[in-house]
Amino acid sequence: MLSPRLKYLQIALNRPLDESILMLQLIPQDERILIEVGTPLLKISGAESIRMFRNILGKNRYIVADIKCMDRGATEVDICATAGANAATCLALAPIETIDKFIKKCKEYNIDSMVDMLNVKFPFEILQKLRQKPNVVILHRGVDERYQKEIPEIPYDQITRIKSTYNNILISIAGGEDFRDVRRTFFNGADIAIVWEKVYKNPNQIKILTDEFLKQIR
Amino acid sequence: MILKQKLKYLQIALNTTPQNAKEIIQCLPLSERILIEVGTPLIKNYGINTVYQVKNWYLEKFYPQYYQEKIKKPSSTTKSIFDSFLNKTNNKEKLIQSQNQKIVKEPYIVADLKCADLAKREVLMAKDAGASAATCLGNAPIATIDKFIESCQKVDIDSMIDMMNIENPILILKLLKKLPDVVILHRGVDETQKNKEKHIPYYQIKQIKGFSNKILVGVAGGDEIEEIRHAILNDVDIVILWEDFYHPSPEITNITNSFLNEIR
Repeated sequence: MLSPRLKYLQIALNRPLDESILMLQLIPQDERILIEVGTPLLKISGAESIRMFRNILGKNRYIVADIKCMDRGATEVDICATAGANAATCLALAPIETIDKFIKKCKEYNIDSMVDMLNVKFPFEILQKLRQKPNVVILHRGVDERYQKEIPEIPYDQITRIKSTYNNILISIAGGEDFRDVRRTFFNGADIAIVWEKVYKNPNQIKILTDEFLKQIR
Repeated sequence: MILKQKLKYLQIALNTTPQNAKEIIQCLPLSERILIEVGTPLIKNYGINTVYQVKNWYLEKFYPQYYQEKIKKPSSTTKSIFDSFLNKTNNKEKLIQSQNQKIVKEPYIVADLKCADLAKREVLMAKDAGASAATCLGNAPIATIDKFIESCQKVDIDSMIDMMNIENPILILKLLKKLPDVVILHRGVDETQKNKEKHIPYYQIKQIKGFSNKILVGVAGGDEIEEIRHAILNDVDIVILWEDFYHPSPEITNITNSFLNEIR
């Protein structure tokens, strides 16, 4: 489980499985570096990608399965947890019943539940409706949204709002790409910064980003 | 659009394991009005390759003489052995001419990806695996749905928008640059388990068809012939079946046969 006292860098791997496995070798071993099996990778290779990551990385590394659950909350947690993930994601756009089941099942498996606020205007309202709160809330704009005329802002303003009421929830921010964005994420009070696009385009960026993160962010 | 506007379809959702899916395919009759859905749990658990497998099992069952023993195992960009045939012939009709001049009807497979972001990539993933349609969430960002529909049109597969957990689907449709081929109305599995009273909103079908008469409407839920009949009476074009299809049984053959015989 993640600690509220630490700051984390989450590296999302979205390339096909064979290439993502090669990329794993570039990620340094540190408790503050989280590894994400991205949605495209999961949809291409299924739970096998999580199993493969677990076999290669060993027991102690933290793996997030970005399964973006929308229905059948319990079944999808089953898929991730039995394959060896430490955390799974659920869309906040899903019916409340699904998110509730998802969080409950994550607790049963003792893995972290992450609720992804993609395209949700008022994350706070969703949190209020839930029976149990998730361990992590992910705030971001969609990738496709970044290529339209009016690019939505990363919702930094939501961080303090959520934290002031639910101080146990960690906040994860996706959408930043270089180290400046990562630093800005933590400056705004987030706990986890997710990067993927730069790493997807150029795997050598992994070393640059992780080195700087481990050196400069405490 | 690959689907025809005048026909009524039955879509069979495969949701458990590839083995189970294979057995269910053995129970299905051959008809252009039977669509096969590779469900989200199956894709998330076993990968998009399942679409390719399902397609080949189907072809193996109905056209054993044309089915080649040595199938090249697809990589992440899966290719069906029949793709080379398909590209040369009329893709829209989904008919392929075999070497013996007999017509081989390709199965219509829906990849229920429930795309929420990175639309273009997911559409290409579905197309490469041999799907004839893919699904996108109606509550994904509008930019994603637009990209999804545009990408589907480019690669010539049907775009299906899943309106789960959306109060008013018309409001979403009004925001889109282009309209999808199919709109799917349904309640989530978790929702219906908790609250049996949550009914399928049939009144929305009229609203959608009033908005555009080109959109086909798919409705999920119900697993008896009466319920299917009821859905068709309510102007549904595609009835999606879930529950019966968890386990292969003679019931599957019966229900698909009754559909093909009774509903035109």
